[in-house]
Amino acid sequence: MWIVLCSATDASALWAYDGLRQMGLRPLELVTAEALASAAQWKHTLNGGAHLTISLADGRSIYSSAIRGVLNRLTGPAPEMLQRAVSSDRDYVQAEMYAFYLSWIYSLPGVVINRPTPLGLSGPWFHPSEWVYRASRAGLPTPHYRLSGRDPMDEAFGTLAPAGATTLNLITLCGNVYGGYVPASTARGCAGLAESAGTDLLGLSLYLNRDSRWTFAGAMPLPDLTVGGTPLLRALANKLTEGVRA
Amino acid sequence: MILLCGIPSETPLRMVISRLEDMGAQFVLLNQRKFADCDIWLEIADGEVTGELRIGRDTYELEEFTAIYPRLMDDRFLPELAEEPQDSPVRSYCRSFHDALTRWMEISPALVINRCAPMASNSSKPFQAQLIREQGFLVPETLITDDPELVRAFRAKHGRVIYKSISAVRSIVQELSDEDEERLERIRWCPTQFQAYVDGTNLRVHTIGDEAFATAVRTDACDYRYAGKQTGEPAALREVILSEELKEQCLRLSASLGLEFAGIDLKVTPDDEVYCFEVNPSPAFSYYEANAGQPISAGVARRLMSAAAYKDQAALVQGAPLEAIVAI
Repeated sequence: MWIVLCSATDASALWAYDGLRQMGLRPLELVTAEALASAAQWKHTLNGGAHLTISLADGRSIYSSAIRGVLNRLTGPAPEMLQRAVSSDRDYVQAEMYAFYLSWIYSLPGVVINRPTPLGLSGPWFHPSEWVYRASRAGLPTPHYRLSGRDPMDEAFGTLAPAGATTLNLITLCGNVYGGYVPASTARGCAGLAESAGTDLLGLSLYLNRDSRWTFAGAMPLPDLTVGGTPLLRALANKLTEGVRA
Repeated sequence: MILLCGIPSETPLRMVISRLEDMGAQFVLLNQRKFADCDIWLEIADGEVTGELRIGRDTYELEEFTAIYPRLMDDRFLPELAEEPQDSPVRSYCRSFHDALTRWMEISPALVINRCAPMASNSSKPFQAQLIREQGFLVPETLITDDPELVRAFRAKHGRVIYKSISAVRSIVQELSDEDEERLERIRWCPTQFQAYVDGTNLRVHTIGDEAFATAVRTDACDYRYAGKQTGEPAALREVILSEELKEQCLRLSASLGLEFAGIDLKVTPDDEVYCFEVNPSPAFSYYEANAGQPISAGVARRLMSAAAYKDQAALVQGAPLEAIVAI
């Protein structure tokens, strides 16, 4: 069994689910955060190994032993799960549920794109300063970046591309770049950044600087997958079935 | 140069300050309660981080710092903010200053004891348990569920079962009792962790650099931190020497988690099996040092100084003639 884990409102994941089904990846289950929030039973065990059983309210059961691969787009438990707690317990429940999700998703066998990290359930969400640092170390041209204790914190999260610049959104999956043509050195930098971040799949935003060089503008582990089109879907299907074919 | 951050009167930080003073080390202390008189900025270009940190009237280049020991408390709860409204500029600056300081530490080439990212593995105990197991330690048999019947079956199988939180939110480890079973329906709202009780001797191992300090904790309490409350008797702590094999395993575990300094909670069973419960990435080691007399703070100070010495030696080598390099 393969699974697409996502929010019911994640249009990009739903597109990938349909596309992977059309490519013949079966059995493929769509398991949404909302369905997980109303699960009838959870059982996650650690002993010699880690195991998971989820009984969903719609009658489906998910056994980790039956899973061959997962496209993981979860960012956290659905808000409905937290609403059940009294307001004074809500922060505690949120921390506990996040910790639980991190553990059971990490425990899933087979290929998981992306495996969760403590910095994000679908891959690490670094601060822009760290993305820029890592991008620069990976060989991508980066804009001049400055951070000050006097800066309003919200301002740090905008795009690094100058207003009016030509931009390009790309996706790297296991060392290859999808969504547009860039010079080999840029593609290597993109792949290097994903490797440095420890993710199989990473979305990158680039812009053309004054020297007509593609320059780093941002990165995220949860990109719009449609950017990669059919070639990305094909690569995802190949990656998800890699272990099975071997 | 060594940078220490936190509240100087906090016991672990105070102990490290004393050791660095004893060793004659040069260090800078950032008292986070004086955040209003501090400032930081940084720039990133060509993969290098540059900038300045101002503490009072003194300003330091960020590149000067070779080792950092952050013992920062949650800045939102600093006493200086107690009377500040939620939207006050002072509160806002406190947050943004600490945020920028922390962001710098995440990417600084200095030795940082510890960075935030590797510390985050402790935000999910069962996640961390899987990483621990990958390093060859046994972990207690664990069930996380929202089904009371599964818990009852788990207890029937194991006899003694404990329960505790799985996030970074601190909880007191408790043994599941008959009275607890009567309120098990409550777990339907939030899957809860239960573990088979492991009998044996508690061991806290502090790893720092290539050193390990092991403390045996003798108590009948499920949670020795609360031994007085749970059993009426405080836990008894004493220094023990680890086998070379177990010491190396502990050092490997800390390194695999990216932690320069860690407090590893072990239990050694009567059959000499070693279980690992968790790895604390910000250990309040003073309790162990005060009760078992182990020089853990000196180990932290030595590690901080070794990073400073390495940087100084590297700078020396870069500018030295060949004969001098051979002599070094």
